[in-house]
Amino acid sequence: MLPSPLVTPGFVAAGLDLQASFSSWLESLGLSVALARAIWLPLPMLLVLTAAVVGVLVNVWLERKISAAVQQRIGPEYAGALGILQPLADGLKLLVKEDVIPARADGLLFTLGPVLVLVPVILSWLVVPFGQNLLISNVGVGIFLWISLSSIQPIGLLMSGYASNNKYSLLGGLRAAAQSISYEIPLALAVLAIVMMSNSLSTVDIVNQQTGAGILSWNIWRQPVGFVIFWICALAECERLPFDLPEAEEELVAGYQTEYAGMKFALFYLGSYINLVLSALLVSVLYLGGWGFPIPVEWLAQWLGQPIDAPLVQVITASVGIVMTVLKAYLLVFFAILLRWTVPRVRIDQLLDLGWKFLLPIALVNLLVTAALKLAFPMAFGG
Amino acid sequence: MTIATTTEQICFLILAATIVLGSLGVVLLSNIVYSAFLLGGVFLAVAGIYLLLNASFVAAAQVLVYVGAVNVLILFAIMLVNKKESLSAIPSLLLRRVLSGAVCLGLFTLLLRVAFTTAWPLPGPQPIGEEATLRIGEHFFSDYLLPFELASVLLLMAMIGAIVLARRDVYASDVITGEPADQGLIEKARTPLLINRSETSTTL
Amino acid sequence: MFGFLQKVGDYTKDAVSAAKYITQGLGVTFDHLRRRPVTIQYPYEKLIPSERYRGRIHYEFDKCIACEVCVRVCPINLPVVDWVMNKATKKKELRNYSIDFGVCIFCGNCVEYCPTNCLSMTEEYELAAFDRHSLNYDNIALGRLPTSVTTDPSVIPLRELAYLPKGEIEPHGVPATARRAGQLPSEILAETTATTTSPAEPSS
Repeated sequence: MLPSPLVTPGFVAAGLDLQASFSSWLESLGLSVALARAIWLPLPMLLVLTAAVVGVLVNVWLERKISAAVQQRIGPEYAGALGILQPLADGLKLLVKEDVIPARADGLLFTLGPVLVLVPVILSWLVVPFGQNLLISNVGVGIFLWISLSSIQPIGLLMSGYASNNKYSLLGGLRAAAQSISYEIPLALAVLAIVMMSNSLSTVDIVNQQTGAGILSWNIWRQPVGFVIFWICALAECERLPFDLPEAEEELVAGYQTEYAGMKFALFYLGSYINLVLSALLVSVLYLGGWGFPIPVEWLAQWLGQPIDAPLVQVITASVGIVMTVLKAYLLVFFAILLRWTVPRVRIDQLLDLGWKFLLPIALVNLLVTAALKLAFPMAFGG
Repeated sequence: MTIATTTEQICFLILAATIVLGSLGVVLLSNIVYSAFLLGGVFLAVAGIYLLLNASFVAAAQVLVYVGAVNVLILFAIMLVNKKESLSAIPSLLLRRVLSGAVCLGLFTLLLRVAFTTAWPLPGPQPIGEEATLRIGEHFFSDYLLPFELASVLLLMAMIGAIVLARRDVYASDVITGEPADQGLIEKARTPLLINRSETSTTL
Repeated sequence: MFGFLQKVGDYTKDAVSAAKYITQGLGVTFDHLRRRPVTIQYPYEKLIPSERYRGRIHYEFDKCIACEVCVRVCPINLPVVDWVMNKATKKKELRNYSIDFGVCIFCGNCVEYCPTNCLSMTEEYELAAFDRHSLNYDNIALGRLPTSVTTDPSVIPLRELAYLPKGEIEPHGVPATARRAGQLPSEILAETTATTTSPAEPSS
């Protein structure tokens, strides 16, 4: 998917456009437009990949520290200050561990499975915006791309479950796929309600539609039910604790991960944590105003008497935007970790009941109500 | 030749090769699980071709529907009835193969003929890119409304049929007393409670 | 129609109560976040074992009369008492005594029944070894006294919950002189002797 710089609607400040400045700088050095673009292309991808991996490291550290605090322990402490290097040590350990492929397993599918789980998750970072122009690609299908990419994941899970040649793995894989499919539907319906209000699938447009009046214009006030549905479904998609049956230790050893070791296991691990961060980021984009500050930055700049287009103001605005996006996302991650130590795991029939008999009808009703409200009050619900 | 067109051509070649080889694998491999996974790969490659044609919405829909739903369903079916049995020798297998090969070849020549005789407008119409989503929606609710609704009715029929097939035969009311039976009970166990109750009451 | 509405109402009530309970649970976990860790940082801090702690068994060779009571009361006849009859003095002569702590369950029966009190329980519990056979202690090893947690200068001794002052749940930062909750055993003894003797006084 080639990035296509769209002309964004002019009702908000254009914000920092790194691509334009970088390209014009390269062109001033005498390079052709196409070459400048080719040099630019990999940079944001690498940046976002690094950001995703660092986000996972932070996430793992937070998970361990918060879990420890909830259980009145200390948690990792000796690897770096406050154990901040512990995730790195974990990763290094997994990296140098022996890569075991069971003798009766299907080697090719066994290797391909974790890759198929990880790649769609990383690809989905394509549409996560950190600012008006601070995303890899403002593709028109935006959030729909994420939904369709996350539907590839069950194939990887089934593949690794099948290839392990282990009954627990197969059961875990089947459960993971069933769970993933059943929670995708309410998730998509919740997203659809948002899309209906913002008249666009693009994540940037969805955030822009929420920037009118700071915190008051965030979608969470207009879509509280949708927010809850989305968050429950996102937890189920990430196999976080109330819904971590595919890896239920008591029944399935470790589900589809049972036979995995070393770097292949690390891929699963990485995938699940990147998925959690991604889901949290998307919740903040869809419901919590994305990069928007609770008080609109334009108002603040006006109040301080600064022109919004000044370079320094632009840099500050962009930084505030990135910080706000990440902050909101990590607040949600914190909530997910807290939830992990609060609620017990559900049974498989309870899980499917919740998905099909509760979330799906509620999501449908939510969609219908949103459509009705949009027709009745086009001012408040995006005409 | 610019960088963009070269990249596009390379991508097209890779995707086309994936589709052709993958679909051959789907048909020719003896391991049905491999065939199913390869089918997923072929669907993904087709989505890639749509992307090259600037139809990102169609590509995403292709991934969602074919990879995420159809292929997963096929895999589920295969894995739930994963019997390790080799194909038994079918009488006159060679004849069958030759016949089906001939049919396939005939279809292929037909397709080739269509492809070569149609006057393709070159270059094609300007791709509308991001506006495609809007345009598709408009078409669905105006001139393609009937096929769209027919497809949804078909899906509804399939869904009701699946529910009818999956639903166990249970009594809506108690056989003896005639009062409505507890739906929750019926759905839970395979109704040993109800059947036992009727049996004991008849013996009494 | 009314039945359906009733169902929807019940369902909503269930959902609201579920949300309420989850919020309550989150409140509990959130409250725990701001509490101090209660964990003991093991190699640097250690809990003081209680008076009746049943740790590794201590044995005094010189007190032992080789009666083998310990062997008889042991659930698995674990202690090995190696003695010979000295024909000249007509007395048992003890040569070796050993207990394998890889097998011992620290039930304390031998200590309880030893007629000469040559067996006793210590507070030592760090019995890790690279080879399980090195846990087979002979009379020399059994005769060694463990280092007490309170006298070890490299360890911070911490009191167990039952030995903390009233209202304290956490041993860190409690001064060593702070009195434990409730009465000490000596005080209980003194009180009971006082009450049993005081009614006896007028009668005498």
